[in-house]
Amino acid sequence: MKNKPLPALITVIDIGTHKTVALVGQVINGKARMLGFSERRTDGVVKGTVVDLDKLHASVHEVVNDLERVTQRAVHDIYLSIAGPSVEGERVKGFVAVPAHDGKVTPRDLTEAIASAKRLEPPQGRMTMLYMRQPTLLDGRAVVNPLGLQGKRLEVNFWRITMEEGNVRFRVSMVNGMSMHVREFILASHAAACAVVNDSERQGGVLVIDVGAGTTDWILYYKGHILCAGSIPVGGEHVTNDLSVALRISRDTAEDLKLRFASAMHRPADLNQTIWKDGNQGVGDQQFNRGTITQVTSLRFQEIIEFVRKDVVRNLEHIFPGHAVKFDQNFLPSGAILTGGTANLADAVEATQNVLGLSARVGQTQFDTEALRKPEYAGVVGMMVAAIEDAPPVVRRPRGTFDWLRDLFRF
Amino acid sequence: MSNPAPILLVGLGGAGCSIVGRLASALPAEVKVALIDTDTTALQNLENAEVIQIGRALTRGMGTGGEPAVGLAALEADEPQLRRMLTGHPLVVLVAGLGGGTASGAAASFTAMATESGATILAFATIPFSHEGERRKRQASDALSKLAASAHGLVVVENDLLLIQVPADAPLSASFAAADEWVAGSIRALASTFMPGALVPVDSASVRSILSQVGSPTLFTCGRGEGVNAAKMAAKAACESSLSYGLGTTAKVGSLFVHVAGGEKLSATEAFEVVNMVRAKFGGEVTTLVGARIKPELGDSVEVAVLGASLPPPPKPKPKGKASKGAKVVDEQQQLFVFATEEAIRRGLFGSTPFTFIDGMDVDVPTYIRKSIRLATAP
Repeated sequence: MKNKPLPALITVIDIGTHKTVALVGQVINGKARMLGFSERRTDGVVKGTVVDLDKLHASVHEVVNDLERVTQRAVHDIYLSIAGPSVEGERVKGFVAVPAHDGKVTPRDLTEAIASAKRLEPPQGRMTMLYMRQPTLLDGRAVVNPLGLQGKRLEVNFWRITMEEGNVRFRVSMVNGMSMHVREFILASHAAACAVVNDSERQGGVLVIDVGAGTTDWILYYKGHILCAGSIPVGGEHVTNDLSVALRISRDTAEDLKLRFASAMHRPADLNQTIWKDGNQGVGDQQFNRGTITQVTSLRFQEIIEFVRKDVVRNLEHIFPGHAVKFDQNFLPSGAILTGGTANLADAVEATQNVLGLSARVGQTQFDTEALRKPEYAGVVGMMVAAIEDAPPVVRRPRGTFDWLRDLFRF
Repeated sequence: MSNPAPILLVGLGGAGCSIVGRLASALPAEVKVALIDTDTTALQNLENAEVIQIGRALTRGMGTGGEPAVGLAALEADEPQLRRMLTGHPLVVLVAGLGGGTASGAAASFTAMATESGATILAFATIPFSHEGERRKRQASDALSKLAASAHGLVVVENDLLLIQVPADAPLSASFAAADEWVAGSIRALASTFMPGALVPVDSASVRSILSQVGSPTLFTCGRGEGVNAAKMAAKAACESSLSYGLGTTAKVGSLFVHVAGGEKLSATEAFEVVNMVRAKFGGEVTTLVGARIKPELGDSVEVAVLGASLPPPPKPKPKGKASKGAKVVDEQQQLFVFATEEAIRRGLFGSTPFTFIDGMDVDVPTYIRKSIRLATAP
């Protein structure tokens, strides 16, 4: 699948806990032009885990229908995002002793090293989804392209993403059931990062935190490569739940109050504010103390970021055993970038700065459509970017009968 | 009823015994106290309490080591002695701290034993703090569901919520005092029905009839007010108490028992005002029993205790004929109020989803509950 050239039309679908977003783009000179966009409420997913397949199927089907109606074309292959607690990542490495007399690395050495890295089987019941490039080391030095360089030992590293087998299988079968096929999987946090982080930031070191509804996915770039990534099954839905438990109100009311009054920071001045539930002060309207709301939401949001910090530090300890990596501004000069719907919470940046001790900002996607520049769309816009960036260079091949046949019986 | 002590207050397990032990000195004469545990060190020597050490041969007086199976075996070993203790008490109040071995294992069987002896049983169960780890929580959760099926009434006391009840800088004893007050409130109210000389008397048998059905959902809350508007304050405190947590605003019960106790200034009008406030909040359409009592020692403060339960509807005659074929039989009462289990209380919308543990904490439980942070009061 990796070797296929980029199609003219790219369809990306991001199935989140709260909403399913899809985008169709036309690729012209390596840039995407948006042809269609659809957003629907996702049913049947809780905390990033699918609980009702039929409902999810219906949600995705609606999205695909929307796209086909807008673009007037059938959607054949799609890019699908993967995220959530069933996704795990680990570092795999492979190396070869460079055999030639002059010690120059040949393409064959590189292929062998890569093959030895990928030889390692994932644990029982899990499936390898993606290999993401990490620095290639020649005699311990990081090199961009080792071909032709002199050295004795060539080491390649990958960040391998694995997922529970059943989880993958039902996603694929769901998509196949709509007579489409999954062209590639894209890690959701990587996609979000592609939308909001530029190359120089990635070179320096940056942590992207995608706070979604059901899960919070993070990814850490260091020296231009992905260093590690992870996911925490807590998100904006938990903020809503906390509010509904604390104020004893329904989920929808809590969601509404969250959007209007919640904050990631609790300030003593909030305690003096009294707010109305509906605002019309009519029958059934209720009064709440704004301080209670900000207290509940700030505690939860700051805890989410704290979980991310712990998870990152744990991963770093695993990658650099024995080295005390200081998780601070020197390590990550570009700081932390927030994306996802919950990044819209007031004062989220300030809270993140306080918890992580890093500079922080909310990621803005560089997209020509104004409506898609919000942090909650970073994922889907980034998938489009990632699909184009990570595609192999176009190689024109003569099309033979065999290709035609293979296209007919698409696998 | 000639029985000198119609109510039997039982503390089961370490935590239950310590709560009951703290309460024992301030109880009315209508209450007899019994302590049951496997651990000899936990069994204090109280003057007017019956102390029973169970499973002496099994544990050698050292506790169960957190094994519910050991707790159950210990109870079965000393069954005859317990049955003897249970006879002659129409009402048994059980206090058990779930999560450990003795209470988690033995509570359900003990309640079953009490039911067989003809007593009505109201159980108070405490749920361990969230930082006590996954295993204790699961044990508590299992025990709670068993207890719910065998007791007439079950009131769950959240340890996490106890800490929220008191200011952050309060001493540890203050937070436990909050739990003691909770249990004591119910016992005082229940005991009051057996005492003569009430302002508004209530028949003890009808209070028992509220809890006549095993496994019926129970509501309990109490509150206290002082000063000018004492009665109103007490009712408000009872309605808003965070210990009666999972019973959200819509939770209503069919039958209510409201007990109001106050100083000499308490008037019947005030008492009924309280009842109206409580009824507006919790329902009580089927029956509402009201008890009121003057207690000179309360001064200008008023205490309100509310006990409620939904009786399952009487079995309807089975629909016959073709007309009702395929029609779904919906048990309305069941949907009205499901048992407020530990999960439903704290996990809210995530009540039915699998637990998610990070660092040994169930992260679906609101952060402020886990961190025991007291929220700012309502406006």
